[in-house]
Amino acid sequence: MRRAAGILVVVAVVGFALPVLGYLKLGSRAGTTTVNLKWNDFPIRYFVTNRGVPGVTAQQFQATVSRAFSTWNAVETAQTSSQFAGFTQAPPFDDDDMTVLGFLDRPELDRVLGATTFLIDVRTGEIVESDIFFNATFPWSTSSAGQTGSFDLESIAVHEIGHLHGLGHSALGETEMRTGGRRVLGAEAVMFPIAFTAGSISDRTLKADDIAGISDIYPTGVFTRDTGSISGRVTKNGTGVLGAHIVAFNPRTGKLVGGFTLTADGAFVIAGLDPGPHVLRAEPLDDGDIESFFDATLGVDLNFSAKFHDKLAIVPRGGGTRDIEIKVSPK
Amino acid sequence: MVLSLAVASPAAGQVLIRKRVQQDVPRTGSWEISAGAVWLAAFDLEDRTAELTRNSTTDTSPFEQFTTTSRLDSATGVQARLAYYLTRSVAIEAGARYAKPTLAVRITGDAEQAADVTAEESVSHYLFDGSLVLHLRQVSFASGRAVPFLAVGGGYVRELHEGDELVETGTEYHAGAGLKFLSRPGPRRSGLRVDVGISSREGGLDLADRRSTQTFAGISLLYLF
Repeated sequence: MRRAAGILVVVAVVGFALPVLGYLKLGSRAGTTTVNLKWNDFPIRYFVTNRGVPGVTAQQFQATVSRAFSTWNAVETAQTSSQFAGFTQAPPFDDDDMTVLGFLDRPELDRVLGATTFLIDVRTGEIVESDIFFNATFPWSTSSAGQTGSFDLESIAVHEIGHLHGLGHSALGETEMRTGGRRVLGAEAVMFPIAFTAGSISDRTLKADDIAGISDIYPTGVFTRDTGSISGRVTKNGTGVLGAHIVAFNPRTGKLVGGFTLTADGAFVIAGLDPGPHVLRAEPLDDGDIESFFDATLGVDLNFSAKFHDKLAIVPRGGGTRDIEIKVSPK
Repeated sequence: MVLSLAVASPAAGQVLIRKRVQQDVPRTGSWEISAGAVWLAAFDLEDRTAELTRNSTTDTSPFEQFTTTSRLDSATGVQARLAYYLTRSVAIEAGARYAKPTLAVRITGDAEQAADVTAEESVSHYLFDGSLVLHLRQVSFASGRAVPFLAVGGGYVRELHEGDELVETGTEYHAGAGLKFLSRPGPRRSGLRVDVGISSREGGLDLADRRSTQTFAGISLLYLF
């Protein structure tokens, strides 16, 4: 008998972070172990709610989410595919064995542009159904060049469909606190939890971090053969740091790929890296709400300063470099 | 080379006189082996900035997280060469070189004030090359024992990153000049070889998809026969 449970991913990831490769993949507890959330059957068949909002017809919505799916499917090092199954009157978030994307009126969620839910097999982590809602409260645009004052539907769809595939949030971004909340200064992952300013279309394009993440979940043989990983620990005064954000920077390509320390001993693994030397940087997870990344009860350590590792980490082709220790200091 | 002068046959009541005439080297068909030390100059690799996509619909310049400046430091290594003289002045030679330079990446300007750091690794550098060597005998000095030369050639670069788990390969072309100071003329001679040159390389651990130039200098003991 298949046991199933629903998981909701709003802008913050509610669920569990996995001590696994790459940056953040969604996971679920299965007894004492944690399993990845992933689809086993492709193509992912999805329906679209036959409803538009001002400025976006249902047909434009369907065409836009189709492009967003295609963006992920085009990643050469990942094996994913999707198929539009038709329009439906059903709204997203119903347990109806249908993966549905559509608009919902949720004015009470005044800071949430969209959210993704899952119905999963809790033993295996297999995603059975996943719905995405887009908050009709906000102004939306499908203009190819973006529209000032309106959020780009394709950008947000690419982000949410990343969740639908099993990706969590990336921390590759910088923010500043302002009255009313955080403002993004810059980000280098579509999966960064805070959206760009209305009118921006930057998140239509996947970044190296996104590509590493999706490829890590659904790897092709080329990905497994041609990329490598870095693993190690982040420590402070000799003990592990939980919740540190580690960034691997390739000085040859300029690519940035992030990862996290997800266990009490401060262990991390970053996968999907091009072979060659990498610069490593550890920082506290202070550019977003902790709940955007982890279970809030985990006790993430924010009391340390950003630091570069003083050795280059050499990523072999198809393998991993290990035993790197980044020693950080309290603020 | 041995020259035999057959004057007469003893069986015929004549006397055989064999005279070995040993010519001085180098000459056509001579070999030269040399081994010694080589110094490789530092050279700059690619500078790169870690960039984030800026959150703006008007300012398209990237948000700079930090900047890296990469450099392959100078190093001293060893080299060996084997040369074959096509003529008294022209030789072809094959060589091998090993050195262990440091790849240093200076990281500065972090957006969150992380302290500047130089991250390093040691690299095992191998070069296998071939050269055409022209000896300028007409401008030799010290009674002909000091012979300037010019050399041009190309080679195969093989570099192993620290831990020896990642190999990067490339090509190089070089041109140089030097001086060989040989012992007194004879069929076997020893000597000292010094040379300097410039190498243009592509690939290897270079962090840029472009050619880099590097100067080098060497000093070797040689044996000519």
